[in-house]
Amino acid sequence: MPATRSVIAPAARAPGGPGTLDQSASMIVRGGDFLFVSGLTAIDSTTGAQMRGTTASETRQVLTQLKQLLEAAGSSLDKVVKVNVLLHSMLEAPNMNEVYGKFFPDPPPARTVCGARLPDGVKVIIECTALA
Amino acid sequence: MTDKLARSTIQPKNPVLNVSRSANLPHVPGIRVGDYIFLSGMGPIDPQTGERNHGPIAEQVRTTLANMRHMLESAGSSLERVVRIHVVLADISGFAEMDRVYREFFPADPPARTVWSMQLRFGNGCEIECVALAG
Repeated sequence: MPATRSVIAPAARAPGGPGTLDQSASMIVRGGDFLFVSGLTAIDSTTGAQMRGTTASETRQVLTQLKQLLEAAGSSLDKVVKVNVLLHSMLEAPNMNEVYGKFFPDPPPARTVCGARLPDGVKVIIECTALA
Repeated sequence: MTDKLARSTIQPKNPVLNVSRSANLPHVPGIRVGDYIFLSGMGPIDPQTGERNHGPIAEQVRTTLANMRHMLESAGSSLERVVRIHVVLADISGFAEMDRVYREFFPADPPARTVWSMQLRFGNGCEIECVALAG
């Protein structure tokens, strides 16, 4: 029997309108035993608007959102198997790491960090694959 | 316990789209393992001529996603079975144009997605890879 695909957390409808990041993507899609989480950017939890801060503050916000999303989906940060972190500058990697290390249990998941051009002036994007 | 997962290669029915072979690159178009299909990064290849389509970014994205649909359907899967997608642009300023075309291909229940920009090979304006469930 083929594995089942289901959208766990549907596309965010951010108040910013067109051009905001996640409208064309489901936040979490389940396929078989895995959850596939979209690249998340920092969202202000009170206004729902895109949040721009330092690499550290965006990292903290994104991982907070990731934790909430996973837990709402019945998973958690300790079930994450692989993380991809995209940074606007690799010089900021230590600032990201300092925050990142506080969120994941020991041993943390596998991870890749890349410096890349990110949309809309975002400093940090984090995506992951987790066990459902 | 369980049997070892089988691993097999995915090939497009249209051989023109087998860039791994035509450009003699050290990868295959895709791998199926268990219930999952992992596709290599795909660029904008004209399915008739095999030439790279380096027109406007909207056209490049349309060509690439149409080829991705062909690749998945060749393996008995489909765009509706995609769970994760990576869209890499050569120029992040093409985001809105990319997104406009992207929505034509994923009108409902879209996959998890991450978009960024970095240097791409062959002058491609976009490269797209995905993970999908097998059919």
